[in-house]
Amino acid sequence: MSSISIEDVKKLAKLSALTISDTEADALRNQLDEILGFVSKLSEVNTLGIEPTYQVTGLSNVMREDEVVDYGLDRDALLRNTPNQQDGQIKVKRVIE
Amino acid sequence: MSQTQYIPTIGIECHVQLKTRTKLFSGANNDARDAKPNTMVSPICFGLPGTLPVLNREAVQLAIRAGLALNAEIAENSYFERKHYFYPDLPKGYQITQLAHPTIGAGSVTIHLEDGSDKVVRIHHAHIEEDAGKLTHPNGVDYSLVDLNRAGTPLIEIVSEPDMHSASEAKAYAQEIYLLMTYVDVTYGDLYHGNIRFDVNVSVAPIGAPLGTRTETKNLNSFKAVERAVDFEINRQVKLLDKNERVVQETRGWNEDRQATFSQRSKEDAHDYRYFPDADIPPLKIERSEVEAVAKVMPKLPNQYRQEFTAMGLDGSVITALLGVKSNAEIVAEIYTIAGKETASRVAHWLSSVLGSAEGHTDISSIGTARLVELSGMVDTAELSSTAAKDVLISMLSSPESPRHIAEQKNLLQVSDENAIAAIVEKVLADPANAKAIADIKAGNDKVIGYLIGLIMKESKGKANPGLAQKLIRKRIS
Repeated sequence: MSSISIEDVKKLAKLSALTISDTEADALRNQLDEILGFVSKLSEVNTLGIEPTYQVTGLSNVMREDEVVDYGLDRDALLRNTPNQQDGQIKVKRVIE
Repeated sequence: MSQTQYIPTIGIECHVQLKTRTKLFSGANNDARDAKPNTMVSPICFGLPGTLPVLNREAVQLAIRAGLALNAEIAENSYFERKHYFYPDLPKGYQITQLAHPTIGAGSVTIHLEDGSDKVVRIHHAHIEEDAGKLTHPNGVDYSLVDLNRAGTPLIEIVSEPDMHSASEAKAYAQEIYLLMTYVDVTYGDLYHGNIRFDVNVSVAPIGAPLGTRTETKNLNSFKAVERAVDFEINRQVKLLDKNERVVQETRGWNEDRQATFSQRSKEDAHDYRYFPDADIPPLKIERSEVEAVAKVMPKLPNQYRQEFTAMGLDGSVITALLGVKSNAEIVAEIYTIAGKETASRVAHWLSSVLGSAEGHTDISSIGTARLVELSGMVDTAELSSTAAKDVLISMLSSPESPRHIAEQKNLLQVSDENAIAAIVEKVLADPANAKAIADIKAGNDKVIGYLIGLIMKESKGKANPGLAQKLIRKRIS
């Protein structure tokens, strides 16, 4: 029995800005189902009174001083990675009417 | 007027840009005020693969200071999370922010209403997050342009409880947040350039009923806009409810030209941000001792100045005008310490009435306390009339000269030379046209003396010391 529907998969794809075909949606549904089934194993463990784990590195307070860094990259170099540009700005599909 | 009585409920979210040299997670320059688009950026701001954001220590320090100003608990443990959405101003596809464990916990702000009363507004929490880039939409074309200079600028978002119930309370809250954040110096506080931005959540409901459906009007950048947007939403929602229509929960914008809110069609599923802890940013642990160290060097808050100025006997409107510019409040408080109440009070009135009204503040820190004290002293010794002193004050804004030098140059010094004034008194009293006035005074109508002083002032071109002139008239006719 599937715990995840085709609609759920399509919604996730939309939230992730991915275009997927119906065949892909079906395949993803099965894969997501397996992943959820695997992860649901964790629910069997009693975690009452245990602090949630936010990090597994054991690190804390990794910070830098407030000093300007020269990354050696100018605007042109950075803009070269964008599909479209104009007047030193990134050109995108219009987002308001 | 509506049949039913409604009560509005307002909560405000306020974004404050922190005045760090660099961005929240990258060493790119954060001062993009006069910079060309996309010149204050780094691979991290562009969200390029393989880059590692690292937290700016100064941003955390400023957040602690802001938190203390909000009378809030600073969390010992806080975390950063990713908030996911796709929009061209957000290159990574997620914003690094805080959700479950923000650095600044619950607090409170005392706001000051126009009728002179105070009210406490509770703060739910405030979280640290990065700003997004700036989009522009040139007219008549099918594209938008993205400038990432602002992407990654450190912000704190201050979230109030829904404790406000009128447009004027919302405005007073916005003003107090502005004062607090500028007084503790965590932001440049330039409202025009969006350093502080307000989102207002407004709902209305019949008195006694559960809260109504709310709308959120975003990105207001003046106190007036906050007040008017809230007012507009209250009226709009009351009209809908009176017609038995329903308020749609939505995001709205504010049209400054039309002075009206408008619906911004929000994207479907827009609220499914799929937050999760950001694995790139290890947890933040803040020791109690660190908070105490910041608390020790906290500058005076607006309320402390308010109390001092009230104790000096200043009016509410004068106090409000003074507090509007931090350096002016500092100057008056300093003069109070070094020169006493009379001088401080005179300077306070100059600052609030001569140099700026509540709307147009003037920063007079360039004049300096020493020259203000000297100028006030010249009024005390009657070397300058109070009208002439205001004239000198305005000149001092653009001149580094001493008030005495300016007064001499402008020929404003009062004549206190007894012989010089006596000569003018003699001339005025000898004028046959004034014989009746003299007779009236002798007959006991003392008010007429003011008329004669007026003539003497006119004769001396305003420079005679009026007190001395009066004394000489009395001496002459008694």
